[in-house]
Amino acid sequence: MLTLLEIAERTQTGEKIEDKKWDKTFYDNITRLVKKYGIVVPSEHRFINMDDDLVERAFQAALEFLETTGIYCLTTRRRVALTREEILTAIREAPTEILMGSGRDRRVWKQRKIEGREKLNVCPGHHTPFSEDLAGLVVHNFAQIPRTDFIEGFNFTHIDGREIIGPPMEVYASRRQMNWMREGVRKAGRPGLAVVYYPINTRAEDLIGVMDPDNGLRPTDGILLSLLPDLKMEQDMLSAAIVYEEYGSFKLSGSFAIIGGFCGGIDGAIIEGIAKPIAAMIAYRDYINYTGVEHVHMLNGRQILIPHVNWARSVVNQALNRFSHTICMRWVIPTSGPGTDLCLWEGAMQATEAPINGMNLYAPRHCRTTVNHGQTPVEAEWMIEVSDAVIEQGFDRQAGNELLGRIAAKFENKQPLVGYDIGECYDLIHHQPRKEYADIYHNVKMELREMGLKTLC
Amino acid sequence: MEMKEISVKDRALLDALKAAIIALDEGEAVAAAEKVIAAKVDPQLAIRYAIAEAAIMVGEKFDCGDYFLPQLVISGDLMDVVTKILEKNIPKADLQVKKIIVIGTVQADVHSIGKNLVSTMLKASGFQVVDLGVDVPSATFIEKAKDLNADMIALSSLLTTTMPYQREVIDDLASMGLRDRFKVLIGGGPVTMEYAVKIGADGYGKDAIDAVEVAKKLLAVE
Repeated sequence: MLTLLEIAERTQTGEKIEDKKWDKTFYDNITRLVKKYGIVVPSEHRFINMDDDLVERAFQAALEFLETTGIYCLTTRRRVALTREEILTAIREAPTEILMGSGRDRRVWKQRKIEGREKLNVCPGHHTPFSEDLAGLVVHNFAQIPRTDFIEGFNFTHIDGREIIGPPMEVYASRRQMNWMREGVRKAGRPGLAVVYYPINTRAEDLIGVMDPDNGLRPTDGILLSLLPDLKMEQDMLSAAIVYEEYGSFKLSGSFAIIGGFCGGIDGAIIEGIAKPIAAMIAYRDYINYTGVEHVHMLNGRQILIPHVNWARSVVNQALNRFSHTICMRWVIPTSGPGTDLCLWEGAMQATEAPINGMNLYAPRHCRTTVNHGQTPVEAEWMIEVSDAVIEQGFDRQAGNELLGRIAAKFENKQPLVGYDIGECYDLIHHQPRKEYADIYHNVKMELREMGLKTLC
Repeated sequence: MEMKEISVKDRALLDALKAAIIALDEGEAVAAAEKVIAAKVDPQLAIRYAIAEAAIMVGEKFDCGDYFLPQLVISGDLMDVVTKILEKNIPKADLQVKKIIVIGTVQADVHSIGKNLVSTMLKASGFQVVDLGVDVPSATFIEKAKDLNADMIALSSLLTTTMPYQREVIDDLASMGLRDRFKVLIGGGPVTMEYAVKIGADGYGKDAIDAVEVAKKLLAVE
């Protein structure tokens, strides 16, 4: 695989391109390849893709897209060009398993198979803002979920009561984030549990300043170094990738495509969705990726469900599982907030899709997240329960489609619900949902059983 | 002259221009604009009717998922081309000045997709938009707004740690005695209406479509 130093050199020597030209080239190349490879949304509505030939064509389209487009370095306004051989070598040499954590908390995070029967790896929380007074408690609660394999950090607006602004305060706040994480997992009795630094900013000093084997980021932990939409990278992130490659930490990327962005519609998003995690692997050595496609209207919380988005997500993940070593995660972004039945129904949908499409589970988080509003441990516990039941019942793609159709009916004529702050629907001291949320949980569970997920106990 | 006062033939020419813009067909749109001029239809009426309505329709197409960011960019560029053709035939004294909006993602933040959506939607809605890109320092926003005699500064932020840079622009404007000269619109993932009120912004857009509506209201544009 290309070394990160080789990538660094290409960010300094590659072809100079202005942003606007990159965006246009990006769209033109995707549009051409959508036609060339016949990436067509099926007339019949499906949640999970059944067309294996389309998956293969989509993967070939993504390879050609990456080869003809490259990666754009925002810092230097240069194109990092890649040959087909370099791309294929990266795909071939990437690992399918990542070791994380230490001692009795050591875990193996694996690439799953389509319709695989192993239980999912789980990151149950964070990647959302919490206030500093709740920080330690929140981590403690999420770390207590037994199935947690790693836990990700969070962002916040204030540190020691002061608004965070500027590099010195960011570095200080980043280090505090890691201190809270370490303290939280220790209090949960899991001192070796892997934690992942969530960058509160993308400056190199923030990213690197959290290294601390005693109270911060350890070599057995991870860091989120995401490629930006439209295959854009930054030198600060690359600097951090170089440092952490040597330090030993694993790296993750948010590598989904956004329908409505420069990739265009669903067909174009499929190509970007497959190309992006491969590009992230090459640019930053991100081997774990949250993958798929999202729609800009869903990310804005305007619509709960948009036709064919789930199907497109399915195509992307099936392609990455069949033809690459990408370790896929489903990042669940409910449009409804915690404490509501719709949030749990959205979680049920994603937790049904994930094992069938070959994805692990990652941090369910409200789409329009504000401080203390993004998530509680309940959503993750719910999704673990649902995904386990889907696997136990042996759902294949066809059975999954049928159940998902029944779940989707719950969203008809519904608008996303805002939901509640964590303290309003979850008791952080006693590690349990408040009664109203517990009742909602029970009712949704009973109804999902009635819908056909009989192994949900 | 208003629409109800023009002939059926002229109305058909304006409808053809509107349809060509909505279809993103540059050749057809340019030809239609030239036919409008040749038929001596009031070019200001053509701008008010054909282009403004096309902008609304393009926005609706984005809203319902038929159009995406690339189509918004193309339509914005196309409306510029057609407007220039029509404006050549309007006496300088009668030219309506477009409201100018300077937009960018604030300092230390390189996220662009939300800002790009807002930028292109504003442009497609008839504003003159100057997009400064990402990681834009407060001084750059203010200097550019002063240079262009802009009407509004629009600030995007996706990170909790870059939201304060939205406030910094507002504070800097105040300290320079310029706060009343520009409307300030803010938005972005973690940004809320409460935050907008707290830092003294004039408006908050919860998404691209909302941002256009708020901008129109703040700048009294129909």
